Amino acid sequence: MAPATQFEVAQPPQDAISALAFGPGTSRRLLVSSWDKNVYLYEVSNNADEATLVRTFEHRAPVLDVCFGASPDEAYTAGIDHQVKKIDLATGDQTVLSKHSEAVRCVVFSAQHSLLISASWDCTLHVHNISQPSQPPLAVPLPGKPHALAASPTKLVVAMTARLVHIYDLPTLASAVDSQQPPQPWQQRESSLKFLTRAVACMPNDAGYATSSIEGRVAVEWFDDSPESQARKYAFKCHRQAAPEDEGGGDVVYPVNALAFHPVHGTFASAGGDGTVALWDAEAKRRMRQYQRFPESVAALGFSGDGRLLAVGVCPGFETGMEDYSGEGRTKLFIRELGESEAKGKGSK
Amino acid sequence: MGKKKRGHPDIEELLARPWCYYCERDFEDLKLLISHQKAKHFKCERCGKRLNTAGGLSVHMNQVHKETLQCVENALPNRSGLDVEIFGMEGVPEDILQQHNQRIIQNFYTAQAERQKATGNPPRGQSGGQGPSKKIKYETPEEIKKRLAEHRAKLAAQKAAAANGTAPPAAPADGQAPAQGAPPFPPQQPGYPYPAAGVPPVSGVPAVPGVPVVPPYGAAPGFPAPTGAFPPGPSPPPGATAPFALPARPPSGSPGAPPYFYGAGAPPPGYPGGAPPAMPAPDSAAAAGDSIDQLIRMAEAGIKPGAAPAKNGAEEAGGAGEKKKKGARMVYADTEVSPEEKMAMLPRYQWVEGAAA
Repeated sequence: MAPATQFEVAQPPQDAISALAFGPGTSRRLLVSSWDKNVYLYEVSNNADEATLVRTFEHRAPVLDVCFGASPDEAYTAGIDHQVKKIDLATGDQTVLSKHSEAVRCVVFSAQHSLLISASWDCTLHVHNISQPSQPPLAVPLPGKPHALAASPTKLVVAMTARLVHIYDLPTLASAVDSQQPPQPWQQRESSLKFLTRAVACMPNDAGYATSSIEGRVAVEWFDDSPESQARKYAFKCHRQAAPEDEGGGDVVYPVNALAFHPVHGTFASAGGDGTVALWDAEAKRRMRQYQRFPESVAALGFSGDGRLLAVGVCPGFETGMEDYSGEGRTKLFIRELGESEAKGKGSK
Repeated sequence: MGKKKRGHPDIEELLARPWCYYCERDFEDLKLLISHQKAKHFKCERCGKRLNTAGGLSVHMNQVHKETLQCVENALPNRSGLDVEIFGMEGVPEDILQQHNQRIIQNFYTAQAERQKATGNPPRGQSGGQGPSKKIKYETPEEIKKRLAEHRAKLAAQKAAAANGTAPPAAPADGQAPAQGAPPFPPQQPGYPYPAAGVPPVSGVPAVPGVPVVPPYGAAPGFPAPTGAFPPGPSPPPGATAPFALPARPPSGSPGAPPYFYGAGAPPPGYPGGAPPAMPAPDSAAAAGDSIDQLIRMAEAGIKPGAAPAKNGAEEAGGAGEKKKKGARMVYADTEVSPEEKMAMLPRYQWVEGAAA
């Protein structure tokens, strides 16, 4: 199941991985943000058998999220030090785009609208118009702490505490940056999952999104508000393991830490605290594949822009009751080259 | 077997169905199974070539794609190994085969019992001509005792013949009695209507039909032969029909979750460990031909009296399901604060404005 086209990156981050992202288009650049305060830039070789560490970008505090901008030389980071930064990957220059009053949890870049959106635990979104750097960011208040953020071509999904999900219309947000008037969300929803939302990912075809929770479950929903579309939404259990009987049996339920849609086939991958990555066909509602278990919890996941590569960030999971945590020495980064049809769904039956 | 193709197949049919070692699916015939394996488990994910075996696929990937096959695709978690060479039904390890058969049997009886409960029909082949189905048909104590006596006599004779004087005939006979007696005592066993639901999910102990019944059974030393008859590897005595030769399904496979209990990590009880302490081996050896009938009788007896035992069973099953649910342990259970927030609060990662910059 796991052929040798999966390899481990030789110089992984020193501490837990918080996020990773491939460059736009056919770029083979991979950015990884880490709790060790660095952002790592890797370049995957052409025959996808190794990735070299190009350089690292040190931050003042752990970095919680990273994304590419419009070009493969431009990146944005979300730091625990409250800052949203732009990094010039060629020169290493870092510019602070905005400052939140709490740690910044996520950053998302929308190439279509040239918007960078950051979400912070100060319960705001900052919306930056990248094409007009002089313009101040627009702050959008949120009803809860954001935990996950994802953008489709026209929508932005913000998942917050208390199972709140807000969906913003990106064109509306873009015009709101000009007027500096925070817009109302396009839709306000309650998560279909009963537990804290862990990750959100949008379908590349702009039809809907998937969310995952700390309780081993993934929900797939559609943007379209019509009852027919809403009736199509579903959720399913995953990333669970039966516990040994002598420990009382039942299931050990792992959080689903990351979700990523395949940019070409529209299938999606989920990564769980159980150390597995599974590929799902959202249309056919089937699991297509589950990859061999990784040595630790899978923290982050990302497809390359052409869908040929899948990067998997592995580090110990944070579990209830932990008073001490360190991903040191146990953080690993794997890259898998996908077969032609490996992530291709069969379509709905 | 032209009869009742659509209805509920009988146990022999079920057991005869070929099934896939890797995913436990069963098939109408061997051809289908083989094509399933080629398509699902032995297909090269690079070029789509369908190989006949995992070994073949491994060689193919090695030679053609210069890759190493690490495990079989789409397999159950503990079946993905490359160490067993499977082709169709060939190569399936004996213990796995036994487990499978046993699961089939248990599912069968569970389903049958449920159907009976639902329809009030008698089991097929049993008392078919019997009139009103509601009529409780179970043996009176006298009948049972008679049968037990017959059994004992039969067994004692066999034992005596087998042991050939090495053991005093009286002792084994006594020892065997409870074991033999166990199955024929259904009316006393409301909690044991049929194998699956009735067996309380006791961990560790391979719950075996008959075991929970009578304390004297603990006098297992009364069986000199049986453990030897079931060494870990080799197949059970040829005559032994599967049902009783098998350890009961591991407790993890509660009726709530039948299909894939193997993932549960419960070790295949009894077999691999060798000496199965509570295995009613003599039963299988001696009462082989009888066992299915007995089971059916038990199922019948267990189910029908007032449907109460069945209800018990159902409740138990429900309880087990609930327990399962309760037993679900979330690795991260804080529903308000995310792991990242907690981590960000640790001194290791904490950010204090002004302290660092």
